[in-house]
Amino acid sequence: MRPCGVFDKSYALDMAIIRTWQHWAILLSALLTLYLFPLFGSYYLVSFINLLSISIIVVLGLQIVSGFCGQISFGQAAFMAVGAYTSSILTIRYGVPFWVALPLSGIMAGAVGIIGGAPSLRIKGMYLAMATIAIHFVVIWLILHMQITGSFKGLYPMPPSICGFEFDTDERMFYIIVTVMIIMTYGARNLMRSKVGRAFVAIRDNDLAGEVMGVNLYYYKLLAFFISCFYAGVAGSLWAHLITVVNTEQFTLLHALEYVGMLIIGGMGSVPGVFFGVLFIRILNELVMFASPALAKAVPWLGSSPAASLGLIAFGLAMAVFLVFEPRGLAHRWEIFKSSYRLYPFAH
Amino acid sequence: MIEFIQQTVTGLMTGSLYALVAAGIVLVYKSTHVVSLAHGQLVAFGALFFWLFLSGFGLPFWVGLIPAFILTALLGLAIERVALRPLIGQPLLAAFLMTFAIFIALEGVFVLYLKGETRTLPHFLPGGNLALSGLSIPINQLIGFCVALLLFGLLSLIFKYTKLGLGMRATAEDHRLAQSTGIVVKNIFSYIWILSGIVAAIAGIATANVMDIYYMLPYIGINGLIVAICGGLDSLAGALVVGLLLGVVENVGAAYLDPLVGGGIKDVAGYAVLLLVLLIRPYGLFGLVKIERI
Repeated sequence: MRPCGVFDKSYALDMAIIRTWQHWAILLSALLTLYLFPLFGSYYLVSFINLLSISIIVVLGLQIVSGFCGQISFGQAAFMAVGAYTSSILTIRYGVPFWVALPLSGIMAGAVGIIGGAPSLRIKGMYLAMATIAIHFVVIWLILHMQITGSFKGLYPMPPSICGFEFDTDERMFYIIVTVMIIMTYGARNLMRSKVGRAFVAIRDNDLAGEVMGVNLYYYKLLAFFISCFYAGVAGSLWAHLITVVNTEQFTLLHALEYVGMLIIGGMGSVPGVFFGVLFIRILNELVMFASPALAKAVPWLGSSPAASLGLIAFGLAMAVFLVFEPRGLAHRWEIFKSSYRLYPFAH
Repeated sequence: MIEFIQQTVTGLMTGSLYALVAAGIVLVYKSTHVVSLAHGQLVAFGALFFWLFLSGFGLPFWVGLIPAFILTALLGLAIERVALRPLIGQPLLAAFLMTFAIFIALEGVFVLYLKGETRTLPHFLPGGNLALSGLSIPINQLIGFCVALLLFGLLSLIFKYTKLGLGMRATAEDHRLAQSTGIVVKNIFSYIWILSGIVAAIAGIATANVMDIYYMLPYIGINGLIVAICGGLDSLAGALVVGLLLGVVENVGAAYLDPLVGGGIKDVAGYAVLLLVLLIRPYGLFGLVKIERI
């Protein structure tokens, strides 16, 4: 819904994502606040935003393959692991600088993703979801059984540095992670406006009809998997150099399920939805973290540290509630809110 | 050679457990077309309830079975009523994702209850090993195997000869058509979830009889799902055959390939088999091939 009094005087203006000066003002001030945030924000909040941004990159990738292209994937955590391990191996064993390893790990994860996405050529829906679960376990198993990945001990990558300046704290990594996140978001947003994005949506809505219309299914399905896994790989690389410890415990099936849950709660097929979904789940997790000690004191039956299991319960229930009452996710609610404030005081 | 036969027999025993777990998934799919990821939790809770009545309340074995069955069936019924019924008319993928939301929520409850401990069922069945010309078969696994075979026979009889089974088959064919011939489809859904809950409880008890009840127990549901999908989701016979087969592949593969790759074949064999089957026959080895038209 267009605000009243906004007209397009040129084709460029019609195509613009940001169309009014108010939009520019909001965007620039938001970016400015974000980049100045480590100066006045607490350490806790900064590291929370780091975590958020990495999750946003992963879920953006999932949005591309599941939300836009309609291929449900439960393998995102494994592809993130591929990225994290690739980046660690490149920087530790081959001395490749982080700035080169970052895109390389994305490409590596994308290559694995193409192999992983191959079943999508023959199967779809729930069968594909199971196949991606299988791929998750196969990838994690391979990582555990190769020499180069340090097996169960994991790897210890170094923080990135440029000209002697070490990005060794969360505040310093913040700038890298947030910048990458913004670039990736911009990429995902623009992808949807291109020929590729339209092909993805055609495949999602009806792949047979799409093929009849001339969409090359094999090419675009594999491309969707490649882009999605590229996102996961980049996020994995950032994660590896932020945490500086990589092991397979960080990439379990539950993590992959969590990403799918974020996507559902945020809303399938919408880039802002990714932000809402990630924010919702992460804040829910933090709330459970804060609430569980008090809860454990009030109800001794729960045991000493119920945070993990209570988090699972809260997450599962939230997802169930969203599936029943708001299957289009928070993004849908956001669209309704936007059009209602633009039209205020009129209802329609 | 004796080593190979031993591994095969052990594999058959493990495989019968997988088949038992898969049976419940196949039951639900056959009539509702929902693939239940939550089934692993039903299995785990069935075992947990049984443990509760046996060890917690000290009931004898035969008496303890009944409340365990009832509670698990009620849990299955609750899942159907509360979570899946509102999704009627939505795409089937939503129902699949819903069962996975339930899986996670119940996983939280399960972990919360266990608090990282393991629970062992008291020995309610004769233990020991059956020695048979060089082979050694643990009796408790053998009992699980026999229970699986019996149950599969019973289920196929129910589907073939009872009125309820006929209704379930009709519902599986076409919900709307079944409704118009006087079958109450909603009731059939409830019955099927109750039945699948009982089957899950049997599977859980048979599993817990062989291994402990610990936090990984619900994940046997994923093995069951692999078996159900490889066998073709609507085929009970497929579940049994593929379940036994998967057990054998895992065991024999682990025995002969583990020294070559450094262990862990057991963890990945099922997934490799699943990927292969999905690539070669996407609708499973015994499943109905669906033809898609625009």
